[in-house]
Amino acid sequence: MVPDLTSLEQGKRPDEEASSIVLELRKSTCAYEAGRPAISDISLCAHKGELLCLLGPSGCGKTTTLRVIAGFEPIIGGEVYLEGQLVSAAGLLVPTEQRRVGMVFQEYALFPHLRVAENIAFGLRHLSADQRTTQVHAMLVMTGLIGFERRYPHELSGGQQQRVALARALAQKPVILLLDEPFSNLDPDMTGKMRQDLHDLLRRTNTTAILVTHDHDEAFAMADRIAVLNNGCLEQFDTPEAIYHMPSTPFVADFVGQADFIPGVVENGKVVTEIGEFPNQVGYQGGAKVVVMIRPDDIHVVPAENCSTRILARQFRGSENLYTIGLPSGHIIHSSEASTNVYPVGTRVALEVIATHTVLFDQDKIQQWGHSPPPDSDATRGTD
Amino acid sequence: MTTAIQRTPPLPLAAFAFTVAGLITLPLLYVSYLALSADFTVWSRLWATRIPELLSNTAWLAVGVAAGSLVLGVTLAWLVVRFEFLGRRVWEWALVLPLAMPTYVLAYVYTHLLGSGGPVEEAWQALVGPEGRILSAQSYAGTTLVMTLDTFPFVYLLSRAALLNLNVSYEEMARACGASRLSTLFRVTLPLMRPAIVASLSLVILYVVSDFGAVSLLRYQTLTYAVYQQITGRYDQAAASVLSLLLVLFALIFLVAERWFRQRSRFYQTIGRYRIPERKPCGPVGTILITAYSTLVLGAAFAIPTLLLIQWSVASVAQGALDARFVGFIWNSALLSGLAASFGVLVGTPLAYLASRWPSRLNVLCLQAAYTGYVLPGPVGALALLVLFSHLAPFWYGSVTILVIAYIVHFLPAGLQSMEPALQQVTPNLEEVARSLGLGLFRSIRRVTLPLVRNGFIVAWVLMFLQSLKELPATLLLRPVGFDTLAVRVWLEASEEYYQLAAPSALLLVLLTLPALMLLVSKDWRAA
Repeated sequence: MVPDLTSLEQGKRPDEEASSIVLELRKSTCAYEAGRPAISDISLCAHKGELLCLLGPSGCGKTTTLRVIAGFEPIIGGEVYLEGQLVSAAGLLVPTEQRRVGMVFQEYALFPHLRVAENIAFGLRHLSADQRTTQVHAMLVMTGLIGFERRYPHELSGGQQQRVALARALAQKPVILLLDEPFSNLDPDMTGKMRQDLHDLLRRTNTTAILVTHDHDEAFAMADRIAVLNNGCLEQFDTPEAIYHMPSTPFVADFVGQADFIPGVVENGKVVTEIGEFPNQVGYQGGAKVVVMIRPDDIHVVPAENCSTRILARQFRGSENLYTIGLPSGHIIHSSEASTNVYPVGTRVALEVIATHTVLFDQDKIQQWGHSPPPDSDATRGTD
Repeated sequence: MTTAIQRTPPLPLAAFAFTVAGLITLPLLYVSYLALSADFTVWSRLWATRIPELLSNTAWLAVGVAAGSLVLGVTLAWLVVRFEFLGRRVWEWALVLPLAMPTYVLAYVYTHLLGSGGPVEEAWQALVGPEGRILSAQSYAGTTLVMTLDTFPFVYLLSRAALLNLNVSYEEMARACGASRLSTLFRVTLPLMRPAIVASLSLVILYVVSDFGAVSLLRYQTLTYAVYQQITGRYDQAAASVLSLLLVLFALIFLVAERWFRQRSRFYQTIGRYRIPERKPCGPVGTILITAYSTLVLGAAFAIPTLLLIQWSVASVAQGALDARFVGFIWNSALLSGLAASFGVLVGTPLAYLASRWPSRLNVLCLQAAYTGYVLPGPVGALALLVLFSHLAPFWYGSVTILVIAYIVHFLPAGLQSMEPALQQVTPNLEEVARSLGLGLFRSIRRVTLPLVRNGFIVAWVLMFLQSLKELPATLLLRPVGFDTLAVRVWLEASEEYYQLAAPSALLLVLLTLPALMLLVSKDWRAA
């Protein structure tokens, strides 16, 4: 169950042991103040060797979820299981030190009074001196920190500090590794490389890990599965691909990438909108008012003199151009074009919609979520 | 650009600090010169007679008081920061109150309390019979007790601040690494508090070593007391300076040890999130235990002595003790202390700032130089200034100026002890940001550094004010003729065991320092 150093280099595939569930949260609720839960009814699980991301905006409860797993916060409802053992429930809290969770804080929390090697050895008290030295050395090798063992934390760079924090957490062979925004204190130029390094390391050691982040790119790059949280509730728990292409709520759709919502009406088994017809995959009844989620990479623009659709703005992003397009109804939609396709602002364009997959939501749901309601409901019929 | 600015400090600042450091070391150098130029026979005579006893007396007292205030200060700080119990807020500030109690006031109260035929002995004899004896205040144990009760708030204050400033992530991390609560306390929390604890203990030890008031009233022979006796009783400047040099060396050991510990690790505020640890609610049993413990300590250190002083004062005032002379003593005390504390902060700031921002050898040396004032206990500093001024500036001799200078030289380190950690807590980045936003050096200090360190500076001012107000030996030796302060009155009258007569001055001394103490625990002052 625990990452074994001898097998580190072989790199086991996580799905070989996919059946073993390391962590399970069942309808867990945690409240700092009575009546105002910070998270409510969160259910999710992590398999051996899996990397899970908790994704959401600040204040969504992702860090609270992590702290619940670590045992820093008690829960008032539901259960938390680690390796099949109940560790948290209403009135039950197995102390953190008995959970064998590895923790990497946002600011790393390296003990400033201890050297690198002493930091890494902190959780290894139960070992003999020899074993401890061996284990610390193995961790130093694994994280590429050989030569730094006598340094104090303040003598290290941010990336080195992160690796010490990782080494310290992994040294005690944790059941699960918890990472709280581990890249937020690092130079953005370095995070791409460091994400890759961390990903490789976790794979190599077959470590089960939970990573908290507010950055969907980070979640997509790292995660096997992503749990999207909002306002203390779990919105969706799925693979990165499903989260992106088949978001289950408008919030998820909007949070994990640029998305536009175009109102439409179901007519003759099709969803009719201002920019074209879409398949009615979910099976709405005729006349139902729905909203189609569409991403910029599914829309292309072609200059056309006689159209009333116009380019309002262009944002150059290096590998692409992101166009903001105003529809005749007043709706705004975005299109992603190759970086060489440059059209001036004001160009009249026709839209080509590639709708291999559509995501439909109730219009009510959109309004509840707080997205701006359609400015003109007649516009839904005014398609070309 | 900022690196270029940062590499060397501005010249006027450095020049000022250098001058101040030079002036502050002058008395020390002069005393050393006097001692080393003393006749060899003086040395051998003293070595054969007084020195071994004085050294061991002083050392044992320092050890006993340090141990006592460590236990009291850290446990009390721990209780008020980490636990929630009935009356916690009141206790939190009340535990600072003993700082208002000068050692000689506590000493004279305890001479009465523990004296032969005193209330404690009477109570004890009622319990075990007329043969029962208690420890005398005029003994090692008695002196240690009095000094401990008087100095533990230093440890309490700095430990409390350190605990409040402690990022709880470190403790959570330790728990995640499998350490139990107890183990976390000893392996993480206390080591992280170490700079504060070592700093406060060195403060306590230096305080004990240089104390004159309590040991003189309790007739406990330490080096400081002996120096005073040599100056006043025998007018023997050579012997006084020899003992002074020993005293200085003794104190220096603790100063160097403290510096060495502190330099080993520099503690900057953790970046990122910072959370205050939650207070653990106490049940009735816990509340009773904590309250009993705090009551015992505070009762012994403050409440009982104060009640006794009030009782005596009432009797004394009834006999007409409040007259124009008395008002004069008050004015003298307030004037001297206010001047000393204000000039102390002004003089100390550039020193501490330079050493924490540009820790070059010279700048650190300047700061160390400022600390030499503290290894000059009252009588020693007074001796040096006495001889210096009579040679160099006889017209200032016996003036208020010489007293203020003596206070600054003596108490600047007390201020620096809290100014320095405050400055160290501001990461240099913050100032660099300010300067990158176009603020000049002095404006960035005023708008960024000062607001951040303000609380530490307030504590510094208060500490210097308190100590100046209570200062005794230098005042006794250097005051202008007829210029008595409250402290001087208390000591003179208590020496003759006129307990009632001394009480109004002593009580007023305690009351005068109270508003200043309130500053320390005011709302703003969360964790200096």
